[in-house]
Amino acid sequence: MLKLTKVSKVYEGKVAYRALTDISLEIETSEFVAIMGPSGSGKTTLLNIISTNDSPTTGEVEIDGANPHKLKKNKLAKFRRNELGFIFQDFNLLHTLNVEENIVLPLTLDGTGVREMKEKAQKIAENLGISSIMNKRTYEISGGQAQRVAIARAMIHEPRLLLADEPTGNLDSKASKDVMTMLESINKKEKTSLLMVTHDPQAASYSDRVVFIRDGKLHSEIHRGESRQAFFQKIIDMLSLMGGDGNDFSTVRV
Amino acid sequence: MTFRQFAFNNVIRNKRLYIAYFLSSMFTVMVFFTFAIFAFHPAFSGGSINNNALFGMGVAGGIIYVFSFFFVLYSMSSFLQSRKKEFGLLIMLGASNRQIRLMVFLENIIIGFFATIGGILSGLVFSKAILLIAENVLIIDETLDFYFPILAIVVTFISFIILFFCISIFVSFILRTKKLVDLMKGDKQSKGEPKASIILSIFAALLLIGGYGTALYVEGAAVIYAMIPVIIVVTLGTYLLFTQLSVYIIRVLKNNKSIFWRKTNMLLFSDLSFRMKDNARTFFMVAIISTVAFSAIGTLYGVQSYLTKGVKEMNPYTMTYNPSLNDSKEVIEDDISRINAVFQDEKMETKMATMELNYFEVLEDNNVIIVRASDYNRFAVLINEEELQPGKTEAIVVEQSGAVVMVGEKASERLMRNSIQLESGDKLQPTRVLETDILPLISGYYVVHDEVYELLGPPVRSDFSAVWQAQDVRTEQVIEVGRKMNQLDDNLRYKSHVVDYTLFEINKGFGPILFIGLFIGIVFFVSAGSFLYFRLFSDLDEEKRKFRAIAKIGLTQKELNTVVNRQVALLFFSPIVIALVHGVVALTALSHLFDYDLTVESSLVLGSFALIQIIYFMIVRYFYVKQIRRMIF
Repeated sequence: MLKLTKVSKVYEGKVAYRALTDISLEIETSEFVAIMGPSGSGKTTLLNIISTNDSPTTGEVEIDGANPHKLKKNKLAKFRRNELGFIFQDFNLLHTLNVEENIVLPLTLDGTGVREMKEKAQKIAENLGISSIMNKRTYEISGGQAQRVAIARAMIHEPRLLLADEPTGNLDSKASKDVMTMLESINKKEKTSLLMVTHDPQAASYSDRVVFIRDGKLHSEIHRGESRQAFFQKIIDMLSLMGGDGNDFSTVRV
Repeated sequence: MTFRQFAFNNVIRNKRLYIAYFLSSMFTVMVFFTFAIFAFHPAFSGGSINNNALFGMGVAGGIIYVFSFFFVLYSMSSFLQSRKKEFGLLIMLGASNRQIRLMVFLENIIIGFFATIGGILSGLVFSKAILLIAENVLIIDETLDFYFPILAIVVTFISFIILFFCISIFVSFILRTKKLVDLMKGDKQSKGEPKASIILSIFAALLLIGGYGTALYVEGAAVIYAMIPVIIVVTLGTYLLFTQLSVYIIRVLKNNKSIFWRKTNMLLFSDLSFRMKDNARTFFMVAIISTVAFSAIGTLYGVQSYLTKGVKEMNPYTMTYNPSLNDSKEVIEDDISRINAVFQDEKMETKMATMELNYFEVLEDNNVIIVRASDYNRFAVLINEEELQPGKTEAIVVEQSGAVVMVGEKASERLMRNSIQLESGDKLQPTRVLETDILPLISGYYVVHDEVYELLGPPVRSDFSAVWQAQDVRTEQVIEVGRKMNQLDDNLRYKSHVVDYTLFEINKGFGPILFIGLFIGIVFFVSAGSFLYFRLFSDLDEEKRKFRAIAKIGLTQKELNTVVNRQVALLFFSPIVIALVHGVVALTALSHLFDYDLTVESSLVLGSFALIQIIYFMIVRYFYVKQIRRMIF
């Protein structure tokens, strides 16, 4: 589904800064992958490159065998609109629009018929439990609701790849749990591939696989077994390992 | 860092944020200053321009000053609007209300000071240009040389330091600090739509229709009485149009999902309704200000063309001569030879024609001029007009084409009703009406066949007229002749009339008024443009954020262009279109007042304004799209 080959990113400037070094990563269709790592490790840069907001200095990105970075600007816009779904930490909802209008926006830009849009919006809103706030304005709803609206907007055009940047970063633990359960069920039901960048081990434990990066390099990855609880513990362990100074703890002790 | 340093650095290090406000203030100062350079020019204090013109300039200066005040105030408040979040942050960090006010006050003083200096400096740069333009528009004997305008500098500096001081005090007091939360997310909350009711919307339409109807219906002197009520009604109608009708229309469009949910319409309309309150106010102001500019310039231009064209049409000859009633033949011959001498002095080739104007008694009237066809034709040949060959049994009624009739029936109607009694007892019936300017006689006259003329009997009284038509000469020569004739000290200067010299005198008297009117009109129009610019750019950051958010979802450049294009076009053209319609109605009413066709003049004035607006739109759109695009792609 998504394939990265030796992707590097160097930010030019007075002092050139190497944000990513030779990242190779593959994500299968309907797989749910979380990317974790400390601040400044290049998580968001990686996501920006995958989401075509930023281009890699070297290396290849392939989504379903095609390189979106080689598309022309307008084609690229259409590609994003049709193939990708985005969820942001700060929701990125338009406050000139109400909830329902925000949800249907990608379809509207594409020129879908009104009835179809209404039906889709209604269906997805019911799934996400936001049908009661469809006519509210964005400043009238809570953070958890806003993130669910953003998910609805990201899902309404049934994208093949859903990209989420810290989706729980602005939410309380209850709302985080709701949002993650929803993402997980979307991933299972709709078979949408999901790539999520997060700080939150709780959120990461909903994924199938967690990839750790540090200082712009792949560090390691762990797969989820049967239980989410055990997976969560493994993630915590890995984080404490990464966070610590190399010789504080011997890796053998884990 | 003291608080004063903080306020100072806030301005100096944040140039980009303050630049729009600074530039508009500077522009205002510059306008006032250039006007002052012109008004205080030493050539005027010398005295070639009369006191009325000086008084007019004083009033104009006052208008510009008062207008500057409101303009700066408006720029200021829209500038403060965009800084709500900053104030919120400061309050959160523990700034007191008093400190915030002090900061705004200090900022304003700093900006005002530099704007005044900048305006004066840039005004100095443009002053030569403005003096050159003035010199060409005004017909004055002196040239307006460049001078170092100490008086203008002093007056401008003091006036604007006072103005900015007042505004600083004013603004820092009206700066209401709301709840902190509201300030922090101030830009996210809509200021709300004005409440729109159907009744008021219909009322708006009725007011406009009523105002327009009255303005177009009344004629003649009644226009003046209707003017004030119509202006009030139309102003109110315009206000309601923008605050009620437009809100209503947008709401209907928004509720119609098949339109609202169609591609980029959603972004456009939601944005319009989100900013409706601000927009409505801006639209109203821009529409009214532009209307004032259009009408003022249109009126002045119309009146000038009315005066000059009217005079020119009624006097087609280079020179006309009409002796006084009891001048003897010798006096007339002497006058004519003197006039010929003047023409010879100027080395001008002229052709002369003379005619006895005889008044006859016809049925109801006893003082009607009847002219021999051969006499008429001699005059007609001079100015290449069509000759007349009336039959032996008819009389042709001729009246002046530009004849102004304020009240009562037209001369031709009365003449057509009459018939001419011949000595033989026969009657001549007038057959047709002709409009020419061959003879400058307002009351109209008959032209008959030469043979018939002999049968008319003795005239009641007799008059004389002589005309000269110069061949291939420059207007300056003719004006020189006119000046010479006007400098004669006997009665001949009243008996002779040189039309080009009269026009020259009219233009000379009218020049200053036209120039001042043009100046004020342009100031108003440009400030209307600045209002729009402010409206657009005060939301720029917000727009950037919005479009970036949409671009992440996927927005092609073409779609971005469509949305921005329509948005800017709506902002620029909806008030201007209304103002143009107002202007058309106002100028039509004016032409009814004079009973003079102003179509050419008004389309010229309104057309050039529309053209300027289109160019302005192109420029602003280019930069606006560029700004937004740079943020996204």
